[in-house]
Parts: sequence; C-alpha cells; structure tokens
Amino acid sequence: MNYVGKNIPLTDAWAKATGTAEYVCDMEIPNMLYASMIFSPYPHCTVESVDDSEALKIPGVFGVYHCFNTPPDTFNRFRTFYGQKVYNQERIFNKHLKFVGDRAAAVLADNAETAEKAAKLVSIKYKKLPYSLDIKTTEQGVIDDIFSEGSVYNVPQLEIGNFTETENPDIVKTATHTEMQRLAHICIETHCCIADYKSSTKELIVYTPTQSVFSLRTVLGDLLKIPYHKIRVVKTTMGGSFGCKQEWVLEPVAAYLATVAKRPVKLNYNRKDDMISTVSRAPITGDVISYIMPDGTIKGLEVNATVDAGGYIGNSYDYALAMGYKYTRNYRIPYLKYNSRAVITNTPVSGAFRGWTSPEATLMLEHNLDTAAKKLNMDSIDIRLKNAYNENDIDNRINVSLENTQIIRCLKEGRKIFEWDKRKFACQKQTGRYRTGIGVACGGHVNGYFPRKQDFATTTISSNEDGTVNILVSLHDHGCGTVTCFKAMAADCLGIKREDILIKEADTAYTPFDMGCFSSRTTYVIGNSLLNCCKKLIEQILANASKIYNTNIEYLTYKNGIVYNQGKKLTSFKEISRDSIIVCQKQLYATADYINKSNPGVHGVHFAQVEADTYTGHIKVTDYLAVHDIGKAINKGICKAQIQGAVNMGIGAALKESLIINKNGSCKGSLKDYHVINCFETPKINIHLIEEPCEHGPFGAKSIGEVCFVPVSAVIVNAVNNALNTDICTIPMTPDLIMKELCAKGGLKGGL
Amino acid sequence: MIVKFTVNNENRTLDVSPNKRLIDILRQDLNLKGTKEGCGEGECGSCTVIMDNKAVNSCLVIACQLEGKSITTIEGLGTEDNPDPLQTAFVEELAIQCGFCTTGMIMSAKALLIKNPNASEDDIKTALSGNICRCSGYEQIINAVQKAQQSGGKHL
Repeated sequence: MNYVGKNIPLTDAWAKATGTAEYVCDMEIPNMLYASMIFSPYPHCTVESVDDSEALKIPGVFGVYHCFNTPPDTFNRFRTFYGQKVYNQERIFNKHLKFVGDRAAAVLADNAETAEKAAKLVSIKYKKLPYSLDIKTTEQGVIDDIFSEGSVYNVPQLEIGNFTETENPDIVKTATHTEMQRLAHICIETHCCIADYKSSTKELIVYTPTQSVFSLRTVLGDLLKIPYHKIRVVKTTMGGSFGCKQEWVLEPVAAYLATVAKRPVKLNYNRKDDMISTVSRAPITGDVISYIMPDGTIKGLEVNATVDAGGYIGNSYDYALAMGYKYTRNYRIPYLKYNSRAVITNTPVSGAFRGWTSPEATLMLEHNLDTAAKKLNMDSIDIRLKNAYNENDIDNRINVSLENTQIIRCLKEGRKIFEWDKRKFACQKQTGRYRTGIGVACGGHVNGYFPRKQDFATTTISSNEDGTVNILVSLHDHGCGTVTCFKAMAADCLGIKREDILIKEADTAYTPFDMGCFSSRTTYVIGNSLLNCCKKLIEQILANASKIYNTNIEYLTYKNGIVYNQGKKLTSFKEISRDSIIVCQKQLYATADYINKSNPGVHGVHFAQVEADTYTGHIKVTDYLAVHDIGKAINKGICKAQIQGAVNMGIGAALKESLIINKNGSCKGSLKDYHVINCFETPKINIHLIEEPCEHGPFGAKSIGEVCFVPVSAVIVNAVNNALNTDICTIPMTPDLIMKELCAKGGLKGGL
Repeated sequence: MIVKFTVNNENRTLDVSPNKRLIDILRQDLNLKGTKEGCGEGECGSCTVIMDNKAVNSCLVIACQLEGKSITTIEGLGTEDNPDPLQTAFVEELAIQCGFCTTGMIMSAKALLIKNPNASEDDIKTALSGNICRCSGYEQIINAVQKAQQSGGKHL
C-alpha cells in the first residue's frame, strides 16, 4: 500500500498553510446581506413589543425581524433524520425567551457594520419571568410552565439482566457521585453560514460547515415548507466541530431570512455569540452504585443521571437516554439499571459533544471502579482486567459481538509501557508539598449506529479520459482529514495516485444520501461503501478491457493500476479510462452501497501521572500515555495528532474548562474566562496504537475521533484522587475545589 | 482618517475609521482573508500578523496605530510554489488539521524566528502559548517550527 498506514498531509494542507483555504466566513456572494442578531438579555422573559423605527432609518438597513413579523413554526435543533420524534420548541425568533442568548431579533443590512449599528437601535420591551439556573431550582417547580411538556423530561428506565443484592452476601457495594460542568466546544472557527434564495428557480442554497447536509435539509424543508429537492445544502471547509456543528442553530435563521429577502444572507457569530447562544455540553450529575465481588467481578451497576438541558430540550432527552447505552462497551455488566432525566434550566442550550455521552458515562463508571478497587484493595488495572471484554464477547444491551476487541491487550501493553507498577510503588508513602498520583481509565465507543437503522452509505466513482478520478460520496470533514483518508483508501484500492482523485464534500444536490458524520461512522461505514465501489469499478475495468482487447475476461487480473492478461501487462488504469470513453463508449463508472451490520468494540485505555500542589491545589499533568485499539490507522500521523488533541481537550475538561453562568443568568462568553490548554501547558502525550485489523472495517480500521476523548477526564480524576487520597468526582478540579476538599479532610496522610 | 502603512511590502493609503480593527482592514478592505478571527479579544491568536517584526493580534490593533507601520500577513509569507520554510514544515509535519488556527500559528512562529532563529523548545512554546489549537496536542506544531529552524530560510 502506498498511502494507507502512512503519514499523509491533509489534502488542503497547503491551502491552509498559505491562507487560501476558503471557510464560509471568507465567502462573499454579490448582493449579500449581513445579519446581526439581538439576544435575550434576561434568562427568562417574553418579548412584549419591538420598536425598530430608529434602526430602519439607518441607510443600508434592509429589515428588522422578530417574533411579531416571522412565522410561529417551531423546529428542533437536533433532529437528525426524517420523521424522528422530537420536541419542536424553538422558533426562528422566539417570543418566549428561555435564556440569556436566546434569539430575540435580527437586523439585515448591506454590510456587517451597519447591521451591528442598527441592532443597537432596536428597542425591545421584555417582561421578565421567574427563572432557574440549575437542576435543583427547576425541580422545585420555579419554571414548571415553561413548555407545555413541562420542565422535567423523564427517560424510561433501561434495565438489562437480573440481580438481587442479597444473593451474594460477600458483595461489595460502592456508591459514588459525579458532577460535570458545562463545556464549550471552542472550535477556532465560530459558527457562520450563508443562505441564498433564488427566486427564479425557487431554490434555497445553504453554505455551512455542518456535520450533516441531509439532516439539516429535513429541518429546513419542514420548517420553511420547501420541497427537499429545492434545497441545496453545501458543506463548507470546517474549522473544527467536536459536535457543535451537528445542531442547526444558525441555518434555519439564515435560510428563513434569505427566503424573505430573496437575497443571500450571511450570519456570522463572534466568539461571545458562539459561547452563549449555540451549543454547549450539558452539566450532568450522576450517581453510580456498583456491586462487585471480592475478586473484582462486577455483578451489577445502578446509575441515576440528570442532564441539564438548558433553555430548550434540543437533544437532551436523547442524550440522557444514550448515556445508558455506554456502560456496556468495555466490561461485562451482567446487570444494569439506568435511570435518567433531562431538566430545563434558563441557561445556554445543551447539545452534542465529542463522544455523545461516552465520556460522561466513562467518568462516572471509571471513578466508581477506582473507588471500589481501593475498598477491595485491588490494583486499578487488575480490576479492569477482571471485567474487560474478551474477543468475541457480546455487548448484552444490543446483543452484538464486540468482535476482535483489544481492551485487554491495551491494558496489558499500557501497563508495561507506562511502567505502571514501578510508578505505583514510587507513589506510595509520600510526604511534602507536592504529591504524585497515577491513574488509568478505559474508554469504549462505537463504530456507527448499528443495530440502529439508516446506517448505510453510497459511493459513486467515475474515471476521466486522462485517468483521473471523480468520487461522489457524502463526506463531512471536520478538519481531521476525512477527505484525505478517503483519497488514500481509494488510491490504494485502485492503484493510482491520490493527487489524481477528486472528492468534494457533501452537497445535497450532487452527493448521495448519508446520515452525516456522527457516531464515529465515517471511515467505518462510509469507507466500506468506497471499498465496495472500488471493487465494482475494477470489475468494470476488466469487462471493458476484455471488450477492447477481445480477450477472455477470465484471463484478466488487476493489480496496482495495471490490467494483466495471464500475468502479462495488457493496459493501465490511465489507458483503460481513456479507451473506455473513446473505444467502448462506456465510461468507467460504478456505484456501490454498504449497510452496516456490525459494531465491534473500540477502545482507548489511557494512563496519566499528575503532580498535585497541596499548598495551592494546582494540578499538573506530568506524563500521559494513550493506548488505542484502532484496528488499522489509515493516516497514522493524523490519528496520533487527533488523539493528542483529544487528550488536551479532556485535560482541559478535567481541570480547567467551565462555561460559567452568573447569578443573573448571563453567561461568561469569553476565552478570558474559559481556559483552553495551550502549548506551554500540554504534557508530552505518548501514543501506542494496537493495530489488530477488525473484520468489517475498511483495511481493518475502527473509529478514533471520538473514542480518544472518552477516557481522558476519567484518567485525570483517578490520578488526582490517587495523589491526594481523595474521592473527588466533580469536574473541573479547580485549585479552589482541591483546597476545599483538602481542608475538609483536615490535611493529608503522611503530613506535609 | 487617512492612514499610510505597508502590507506585505506594498504601500497602502486608506481612508478608514480610526477605530477600525486591523483584522477588518485586512479582510474587508484589502481582501486578505488568510487572517482569521477566532475570538476578537486577543485570546486565541488565530488573527496573528507581524507588525514591525513583532507578532500582534490583528483584532486588537486599530487603524490609528498603523501609521508608518509594516504589516506582514500569511499572504506575504509565501505561496505553495515559493513557500516560507515554516509553511513547508507545517504541511510536512502534519501540523495542520482544521486549519483555522494555522495562519496565526505560523505568523507567531515567524515572528519568533525573526527575533531568535535559534529559539529553544521552551522559547517556541512561550511564543506560541497565545495561539490555541483545538485539534492537535501541539506536538506536530512544535516539531514543524523546529524543522523550519533547521532548514533556515529567508527572513522578512
């Protein structure tokens, strides 16, 4: 293979290095209008009146839009597939505003500066309502009537297997409590989109860095009552997502405004707008009770979790539900009882975040396991080895094989590389100001939706007269190199150069249907449709060669871009591409699909060492090892870079990051108050990839982009608790929190 | 106000509002869109350009500070056919993923290497600590700057 498994710079790396890559914020369309949004200043209120007379006097202002001159139709920002049952609670411009940052109105003008200036002149009268900024206050009934569905959304209990506590008198019961903060995604590219409406053809075109052009199309079509074929959603170059661009926040607004103005409309959020008004990771509280035998065998788990949905339910009901699904991805859990609910508060809306509840479930479970191991006097790795899945074990929730899951190898090889036992010994009997601790955590995830439906994909390949190739497939590259990865796979399958392949990203007008880039399904599921299509194209090559050279097709073989006739070179991919068109009158062309019917175990087992300053509560991550069961790394160097990025994001979540809501409901929408790990703070992050090809993955590949984030916060929490002999599972573990805990404990064992 | 300055070695005379931000002048008036806005408050570094051989956040510089200054943006650094060693190294070392931080990151690194071509790893980390990358763990970025140091190359 020329490409797969190597280190490949991204296809658009040169464009990005020279500043010529075009993101949607860089795009200009003639006659374009610019929107400036006016956000709710109060956490809970209604719009009583809007006076736009002063704003409309400004030259260049096109219009002012708000709840009194826009339709009352509602949508759900998370709806992913056609016909999905969701709570439609949001209007384009809401009358009943649910949080500081809710969309109250927008001004359209000839340029961004004028729109912003005019927005300041729009006078809105609000009626303030009682508000709740946390789960507890909502549960007290303060905002019960916020929606007709109420403010608390109970999710049906999930129960798997059987278990009676009294049957095992020796069983050890361990209860732990976890609290997670609100996280911001902080993609460096903030949310932006352009919508254009062509009156002559009644077509809506939306340019946006989205994770699913087809999901978005259903939302726009149903909300604006436009037939789907008259909507073209074009995925633009994306400056990072991590989940926040799989929800439709700007697009419905821009699309509506474009249909009204009959002109292109650009809506571009700055960092503050992005942080207060788009999507954040929900604050989540959870209680876990584990029932574990003295030898470390898990007998049962009971989990109770509450998700703070923010101002609209969005995805939070599904998020709470899905978290229950994540407890059975690493370990044999013979009994699981999972209860959850989503609760509305008057805070920024919660939504998808990298790993879609796997990191959250993992933090709760991995902290509980460490607490239990301590009680049982067991080593943290040993207790995990005792319960980790063996190859071909079954995920008992979905009754699907974990196939060649390598979690045990990850634990064993990681133990050795990290010198776990040596470090563990060094951590014992510490004294003094600085304390060292080590931790381990296992993170499991998925490869696509299966056994859920609609997990299929289609690819079309055609070749040109000069031997170059066009591929149509609905990719949504987040910036992690999806297009590069697909070019590498196609080039190796066809034996051609990756430079000779054209793949544009998803575009509802041209590329085949696809659910989108969620659930770590792109390489694993869509990649298989690409491989199937390459196989079909090769069949076509042989058929055309047989015709052109009048040879028996059975004598023909294809390898590395060459057609052989009984072992002797007959023609090349380049020649047959040309001759197919000129001689055969049948272009080399194939379409193939793939329906996913597997979901093997995929894991990251991470190890960390931290140093805790017991005078200040400051935590420093000093050593880190991420071991990954990846099947096959298609673009190895980028996989490593992606894992390291996820580790930084997880360290930030464990120790620093928190989107703070003030008492008046306003949100600190600034990077001054939201600290992201920078290059000075990042530890050396070592990566060890276990490449044991899995049966159904293209080239044996399994997922990586989300699973690498899954265990990070958990491993840091475990290492800190190990250093300080504490039982903290509230993140972020800020110096204040650490000092409070140390003071409450009355100091450290061993003295200072 | 009328302001005279140079951008990528070209003389510019513009009539702009005195408080117009440099990033807006570059992107709107001069169509130099390689400079990206990530926060507008000097925290993320994605809008970094070089002003008189020093890295600045172009979102924090306004028109009235520009008189007589020399500005270099990513467009002035190099092209794929005639690149700066930093650009080549960023591509080759896989230091580029989503790319939104990349141009600012390269300009911060360039300002460092102009001042201190032999910068140590710690110097590099300090110089880039104002540039956030959310995709990587910075390792590839630091490697790229070190590779560019080794390959030498032109100075502004």
